[in-house]
Amino acid sequence: MSDAHDRQDGAIPLEIEVEGLRKTFGRREVLKGLSFSVRRGGFLSIFGPNGAGKTTTLRVLATLLTPSGGAIKVAGHDVREDPMPVRRAIGFISHNAMLYPDLTAQENLRFYADMYGVEDREARITELLERLELSARRYDVVRTYSKGMRQRLAIARAVLHRPRVLLLDEPHSGLDPRAVDILDGLLTEIRDEHTFVMVTHNIAKGLEWGTELMIIEGGRIAYEHAAGVDHEAFSAVYREHVRDGSMV
Amino acid sequence: MNSPRSQAIERGAGGAPVRDWAQFKAILRKDLIRELRTRDMIVSMILFVLLAMVIFHYAFSVKEGVDLTYFTGGMLWVTFIFAMLLGLNRSFAQEKDEHCLDGLLLCPVDRVTIFLAKTVGNLVFLLIIQAVAVPVFTLFFIERSYLGDMLPFLVVLLLADAGICALGTLLATISMNTRSRDLLLPILFLPLIVPVLIAATGATTLIFAEGAGLGGLLARLLFLLGFDAVFLVAAWGTYDFAIGE
Amino acid sequence: MRKLVSAPALFIEAGAFLIVGLMLAFWYAPTDSSSMGFSQKIFYYHVPIAETALVAFGIAFVAAIAYLRTQDLKWDRLSYVSVRLGLLFSILVMLTGMIWGKAAWDTWWAWEPRLTTFLLVCFLYAAYWVLRSVVDEEQRRATYAAVFAIIAFIDVPITFFATRFLPEGLHPVVISVGGTGMEGSMFVSFFISMIGMTLLLVGLTRRDLAIENLKDRVTDLKTSLGG
Repeated sequence: MSDAHDRQDGAIPLEIEVEGLRKTFGRREVLKGLSFSVRRGGFLSIFGPNGAGKTTTLRVLATLLTPSGGAIKVAGHDVREDPMPVRRAIGFISHNAMLYPDLTAQENLRFYADMYGVEDREARITELLERLELSARRYDVVRTYSKGMRQRLAIARAVLHRPRVLLLDEPHSGLDPRAVDILDGLLTEIRDEHTFVMVTHNIAKGLEWGTELMIIEGGRIAYEHAAGVDHEAFSAVYREHVRDGSMV
Repeated sequence: MNSPRSQAIERGAGGAPVRDWAQFKAILRKDLIRELRTRDMIVSMILFVLLAMVIFHYAFSVKEGVDLTYFTGGMLWVTFIFAMLLGLNRSFAQEKDEHCLDGLLLCPVDRVTIFLAKTVGNLVFLLIIQAVAVPVFTLFFIERSYLGDMLPFLVVLLLADAGICALGTLLATISMNTRSRDLLLPILFLPLIVPVLIAATGATTLIFAEGAGLGGLLARLLFLLGFDAVFLVAAWGTYDFAIGE
Repeated sequence: MRKLVSAPALFIEAGAFLIVGLMLAFWYAPTDSSSMGFSQKIFYYHVPIAETALVAFGIAFVAAIAYLRTQDLKWDRLSYVSVRLGLLFSILVMLTGMIWGKAAWDTWWAWEPRLTTFLLVCFLYAAYWVLRSVVDEEQRRATYAAVFAIIAFIDVPITFFATRFLPEGLHPVVISVGGTGMEGSMFVSFFISMIGMTLLLVGLTRRDLAIENLKDRVTDLKTSLGG
């Protein structure tokens, strides 16, 4: 809803608040003033053509990029002034696994657990490896993993520290059907009490999960709507707003 | 919203900050495990150092029976600096290629902690190389007994290594994000490290060729200490910018 | 008053000071009684150029810090314009130093502290340019250049100290100039040249900044027209 970000529903706090987000790379303005918000427990699906600024937006939320302008708060903290609590509160899944290929799954997860200060480290690692069906390969170096297995391990890495907010950059792309099922299963399990922002080209998945939908195009929000739009209608809207997109 | 699971989630999001020391150890351990398992850096650096020795022998043996004792300091430190350049490129290349750097930057870790952990990691590798190179070089090139001089030499070694690793780590962080990362690092690094080279070679030569003790080397040692302090502070202040985006 | 500090006026003022300084150097200041003789007169240009180069690098250092704090690209522009000018002046230092060496001691090069330091300074700031040329993205290029400009400037006095004091006994110090304690007429000539050189730096800086600004605006126009 276009007025969602200025309507404060007292019962459910805003987990992500973005006001006038701008980002320029040199002379190129990639994000031209985005404003939106996501309630705690919400799921925002972001669509748009390549180069629209979707991944850039996500990386700003993840504190990997500093915004050129605007006020951005995640989990109640400003990403520029106060990035540390933001980092503790978010998990990031992208198509880069961000795993060390010469370390085993155990060593990778142990490293990240130490970096995040996860207290029940061993138990948590065991629990996640089981959930993601990787226990058998726990002590194998990641270099020997298939792409699907790496993505699964990357999911473990992202949720290891029990983040409140999950940022997903095209998480289903390149996954085999089994991995897709595992990912969806995990998302279902943690769906409550977590907030999500997912960038995706997969309209079906985006509509299935999202409570709010958004199309970004040319660095601006081209379309916003709460969930409840059916696939046909949305595809029509998408085509209308976007000149060259890839659709599933 | 009060199940044990949601409490765990609450703790994960903004609970007590992780101590820097634990994170420092985690990064250091990760780099050491990685390197000891693949031995990429260490093997190439050791081979390089031993080859350098052979090349120096042929480069300088212009006359029959020439005594290279006075040159050992220079040969050693030139070799270490170039070996370090090789090693630094390797150590950052992988972080960059696998996007692991993103993973690291996502963590709630002070950027300076990353800098210190990487510098100490590089220092460990340099010390390993030197543990191999020094006995071999000194055996082959020094024409007097020098066992009693090892202590002052170790002091020089540690002080010079600290400066080399701190500056090298900072510059490698910058150069790994550029187009021609392998060529850029030497160009940035070598002019800056000349003062260390001057002090370290002078001190080393005085130790091995003339048996100078710590007292005679005081000026150079203090200089190296000052260099290390100044550049550690400079790297501390600028590392955030070097590694971020 | 504004007219006096505009770029063309600065060049005229600089020229005036430098020419007067030159005349004073040749006709007013006494010929040096030591072995260097007449060739010592190059000192009146050589040292001001050296000090001006260091001033330029100092400006680059301060501008670099300002950029890192504000992320405003205009500081980056000042920084690299200053480095460029500083590098130019440094090469002149080396050239005048070598001419002096040849005229006074019949040798083109000596590994003495000042020449060596400036040689390294040239390499250092040349590296600054190489760094700028391999980063494509503007903000990142400015950031890395700023970090390097800071580190490099800190290294200059350290390098000078190392080349002067550490190789004791291993290298004789060939050239030594009476630093302070110049007699009156020498000092006046020197001081006037110094002012002239500094004005020249300021004038060149302003002109270069204006040129860079124009270049950027042309690029902007091009992109908005051509797409």
